[in-house]
Amino acid sequence: MKNFTYTLFVCFCTWLLFGCQTASKNPGSSVSDSLSWEEIEAAAKGSTVHLMMWQGDPQINAYINEFVAPQVKARYDIELKTANGQGNVIVSALLAEMEAGKSSSELDLVWINGETFFQLRQINGLYGPWTGRLPNAAYLDLDNPFIRYDFQQETDGYECPWGTVQQLLIYDSLRTPAPPRTRQELEAWVKAHPGKFTIPNEFTGMSSLKALLADFGGGRESLNGPFSEEKYIRLSTDMWAFLNQLRPYFWQKGETFPAGVAPMHQMFASGELDFTLSMNDCEVDNKIRQGVFPASARAYVPDFGSIRNAHYLGIPAASANKAAAMVVANFMISPEAQLQKRNPEVWGDGTILNMEALPADWQEKFSNQPGRKFAPEKSQLLPRAIQEPAPEYMIRLYEDFRTHVIETPVPSL
Amino acid sequence: MKKRTLTAGLAFFLCWTALPLILGVGYALLYSVGLVGLLSEGFTLVYWQRVLTHAEFWVDLGYSLSLAAGAMLLATGIALRLVLKHRHSFKQGLLSYLIYLPLAFPAVVAAFLTFQLLGPRGFFSRIALSAGLIATPEQFPAMIHDSWGTGILLTHMAMAVPFLVLLFIHTWENERLDELGQLAQTLGAARRSRTWRVEVPVLIRSSRPTLVLYFLFVVGSYEIPLLIGRESPQMVSVLAIRKLQQYDLTARPEAYIVVLIYLLLVAVLLRTLLVSPTNPKQP
Repeated sequence: MKNFTYTLFVCFCTWLLFGCQTASKNPGSSVSDSLSWEEIEAAAKGSTVHLMMWQGDPQINAYINEFVAPQVKARYDIELKTANGQGNVIVSALLAEMEAGKSSSELDLVWINGETFFQLRQINGLYGPWTGRLPNAAYLDLDNPFIRYDFQQETDGYECPWGTVQQLLIYDSLRTPAPPRTRQELEAWVKAHPGKFTIPNEFTGMSSLKALLADFGGGRESLNGPFSEEKYIRLSTDMWAFLNQLRPYFWQKGETFPAGVAPMHQMFASGELDFTLSMNDCEVDNKIRQGVFPASARAYVPDFGSIRNAHYLGIPAASANKAAAMVVANFMISPEAQLQKRNPEVWGDGTILNMEALPADWQEKFSNQPGRKFAPEKSQLLPRAIQEPAPEYMIRLYEDFRTHVIETPVPSL
Repeated sequence: MKKRTLTAGLAFFLCWTALPLILGVGYALLYSVGLVGLLSEGFTLVYWQRVLTHAEFWVDLGYSLSLAAGAMLLATGIALRLVLKHRHSFKQGLLSYLIYLPLAFPAVVAAFLTFQLLGPRGFFSRIALSAGLIATPEQFPAMIHDSWGTGILLTHMAMAVPFLVLLFIHTWENERLDELGQLAQTLGAARRSRTWRVEVPVLIRSSRPTLVLYFLFVVGSYEIPLLIGRESPQMVSVLAIRKLQQYDLTARPEAYIVVLIYLLLVAVLLRTLLVSPTNPKQP
């Protein structure tokens, strides 16, 4: 009897466990093709959209919570709720839901780009194609390679462009009147100022490594095209050697690296570091206005260039509110929402709209918008822009920065 | 009838406690050998091989164990000293109230406070700078993100000492150590042997299960090492979460392996450390 009970218990557990394997590959309803946009708006009325986004910048949070959310509530009766999470957190959340066979997702809209898009496509975690159905998609600047391709991938209507940025190095013009412009100057500067430079071990830091990798490859276009293992190994070997010989001069003697840009900004403000990085090319204006950075802070792109990319909105395949998510996304790419977002006082994010496609009055509003004061204008950044290389580069850099730098002993001087 | 109620009760208890745990471990086991998971490609031991042969995991495990052992030893020592010398101060007055305060601090807050106090631009660094003890803030000894985990150790100690003081005071009263000690002295024990052969052994022995559990709690702690620890070595829970959320999705099984080995270690430690030397049958 006892044995029978145990056997039954074990069988039950096994059944439950293997039950997990039947996770549906692409659950969730889709928005019927026959629905017109008016019908989609009507279907969206009264629903709640859960947006998962990076919440590391109070100004970006304020734009979403104090501008986008009230607007979609007033116009479409949609409740917009936000949750914190980016990149790997979004992937883990959706992957876990899919593995558990959950029929509807906790998330309806996700703020993603590049390698996250690649991973979500890999697990069929995204709904699509849907972006072509948005009325405002007609204004999108899809001839621009920085918007059309996400890490060299066609977006295929599975994610909608939302904004563009370029990475900048931020420095204090009083402390560092002549910031380094080339890799050689950077090397000399770091050696002359021990403890004042570092790279965050996250998205922004890895993006800066891509620019360095491209420089080792001979120029801004050297990483374009599909991922090449041979090229990656060759260039990254040089780059790890370059970084390791500089490590003794890094912050904390290169024994550890900051986990994010927020602590780096703090250390820059307190004088512990002389440089910080930002993927938001208006950050220096924002932070000076908030009083976090000194008024003498400036931002620039070194001569070897920096990554410029677009960021996007995706709808999880299992979202139960796809119609509402589409309506919110359509509002977020509307000229009005884009103009507001582009304002340096609000966020200063680059628009993904094609100015020439816009009605004349909107074109005028965009061109009359006051520019930034402390960061260079977008047009000056473009000549030094590097297109995002294939997502495999990012995935490999994350792994290898840990293996070849963080976990490698710091070379002695 | 009574037996049936007992069986039903036992089944209910099992379903609530053991079943989720068994399922969790079972799922992790299946995931670790590639039998479940959205991207799994059938049975393989390659993930086990990768984790077990990579130094990273063992270094992180050793780091977690030694940090926790260090924090517990120091905290126990300090708490014992406080209870032996000053236990009456904790029974009344301001201290009796203040001692409870640190217990109400969430780990995140404690870690943040440590950062603010001990960071290179923190409170103490600024004091040292303005007092002229150091010439630049960089000269302040690194206690945050440092290789010894000093910040983690101090934060855990700060959280453990008040808890252990309360535990020892409680044990002191429960075991009636005042009377026991007097008895020992009546029988001719010196003051010193009263402390070292009666009071301390009784306190440690009676608190042993709690001490072991607290040690395991420190080994598995997450927020404190996440906020003030370094990127390498990391404590095991930080490592597990990092592996779970890494960009290479095909390596996710490694996260489950880290958790499984950690659970095995917990099980073994609980079994060996909780068995009291005087009563080997006690689980």
